[in-house]
Amino acid sequence: MAGIVTSRLHAAPDRTSALTEPRPVRWALTGVALAFLVLFLFIPLVAVFTEGLKKGWEAYLAALVEPDALAAVRLTLLTAAVAVPLNTAFGVAAAWCLAKFRFPGRSILLTLIDLPFAVSPVIAGMVFVLLFGTQGWFGGWLFDHDVKIVFAVPGIVLATTFVTFPFVARELIPLMQEQGPEEEEAARVLGASGWQIFWRVTLPNIKWGLLYGVILCNARAMGEFGAVSVVSGHIRGLTNTLPLHIEILYNEYNFAAAFAVASPLALLGLVTLVAKTAVEWCQARELARGAGAS
Amino acid sequence: MSIGVQGLAKRFGGFEALKNVSLEIPSGELVALLGPSGSGKTTLLRLIAGLERPDAGTILFHGEDATRRDVRDRQVGFVFQHYALFRHMSVFENVAFGLRVRPRHLRPPEAEIRTTVTDLLKLVQLDWLADRQPSQLSGGQRQRVALARALAVKPEVLLLDEPFGALDAKVRKELRRWLRRLHEEVHVTTVFVTHDQDEAMEVADRIVVMNEGRIEQVGHPEAVYEHPATPFVYSFLGNVNLFHGRVAEGRAEVAGQEVAMPDWAAGLDRDAVAYVRTYEVELAREPNGSPAIETVLRHVRRFGPMVRLELDRVEDGQVIEAEVPRARFEELGVGRGERVYVKPRSARLFPR
Repeated sequence: MAGIVTSRLHAAPDRTSALTEPRPVRWALTGVALAFLVLFLFIPLVAVFTEGLKKGWEAYLAALVEPDALAAVRLTLLTAAVAVPLNTAFGVAAAWCLAKFRFPGRSILLTLIDLPFAVSPVIAGMVFVLLFGTQGWFGGWLFDHDVKIVFAVPGIVLATTFVTFPFVARELIPLMQEQGPEEEEAARVLGASGWQIFWRVTLPNIKWGLLYGVILCNARAMGEFGAVSVVSGHIRGLTNTLPLHIEILYNEYNFAAAFAVASPLALLGLVTLVAKTAVEWCQARELARGAGAS
Repeated sequence: MSIGVQGLAKRFGGFEALKNVSLEIPSGELVALLGPSGSGKTTLLRLIAGLERPDAGTILFHGEDATRRDVRDRQVGFVFQHYALFRHMSVFENVAFGLRVRPRHLRPPEAEIRTTVTDLLKLVQLDWLADRQPSQLSGGQRQRVALARALAVKPEVLLLDEPFGALDAKVRKELRRWLRRLHEEVHVTTVFVTHDQDEAMEVADRIVVMNEGRIEQVGHPEAVYEHPATPFVYSFLGNVNLFHGRVAEGRAEVAGQEVAMPDWAAGLDRDAVAYVRTYEVELAREPNGSPAIETVLRHVRRFGPMVRLELDRVEDGQVIEAEVPRARFEELGVGRGERVYVKPRSARLFPR
């Protein structure tokens, strides 16, 4: 991390000197940023692993392979496996129609996509309880037909899907807007069908942005707590996702186990960051390769 | 393929882009849609291509109604202003695209696709760049790839939207000549949009001058230039000076000059605007008896065979532009700030 920052500093004098701050100011700003990173990212990350390993490797592994923990991992993976593809499909479709077409209600749809970001996840969860809970609007009908949504897996998947709704779309809309509709129009005039245009023209143009959105969406789907907590009902081994399982362990003063189970999630965060950086790097390389000779 | 357009109208929100436009384009012709931005020329082109749907009117291909025909079935080649090459495909794949997306039973075998694409790239003199990515090409090269791509599907109509608009002057000139020659070679009905009068004059068999969503005049370049039908066409093609005057009893009075206007019926008495091309301005050091406009020479630009002058009318400060041959200017022997007397040699009057 420090290496990146100093290399940027060395590069600074090459640019216009009018934009360069005096050396002490630069060092102070860098120092503040670094201290912030260490305090809020690095130390907590280290803490997770040290706390998890406090009682030794055996206790760490035991906490991870315990049946309830495994059930939580399974449920988390299942949730992500449903929510991420759903939101990928939705995100691409929404970005496509928002970026390539002008229609009445376009700006309303654009705002609606941001709604899950604007609303607190807890409220999102409560809305689902209100709709599908036993006392809710559709609760009676669901009860009569023996369909369980709230305090069951479908509710968790629904809540997660709602919360992670904007990630892919948000990533793609500016990208597609910038690319404009011309390539699709060109393909259309050349006789390509809708599917052919999507697979051969649109998708290759957005693949990096899409991957980036999917990675972020996945990270959030696995880590979501608030909305899932409301609709889950916290039934051990049945409706607990990883974050919920960690909370229960923590509330039971079982700190070592809580942190042990938290460590894969923390690891997922790191993997996400690495993957995200890799995608950005690939994208930049592709751009550079294209721009090099022109 | 001939193109017919009848009573075409299109609006975007509150903006009327095209108002009741009718036009006939005979098969094999090279036609320019010429007009300022916002004149509806690109909209007309996109309507012919099928990229937009008209609000009213019909489009005929070969005399058949094609208004509702899908873009894919219109057999048009379209070249976009900013090329719209597929950025992730090589030059070769860009040109091959139209052949590869055909339904299986219509798709030519791979070997045939190869020869077709190679031939087309040779036609646009870019066969040596087949493996490059579009971003590695210059603007002129990209535009030629876009053309080859459009020709690959053997279109019956070639439509070009400001094909040379984004290129620098020298490349533009080259490509114009090249397009002309290409059209002679493949002889497909071609319509291109431009706001550059020189481009339209140089390349097209016929020019369609458009303004504010309407067609002002259609004709051969010389005819349109020599006999502009409306004041707009007059001022849009070439540099002109504008004088206000009056017509009455078959005679007109423009800038203090009496001009015989036998075309205009006696009894007509109204304001008129006279257009005088910059090279139709007669200059003299003395008024020489007959009425002339008194001006002061402000600017002289000498390059090429003609000298361009900017003159200020003494009476009201109006700027008059004039072009005279170099020899005539030397003979005149005026310098900046000196008096010059101006007489329009000929003028075109439009009543108001």
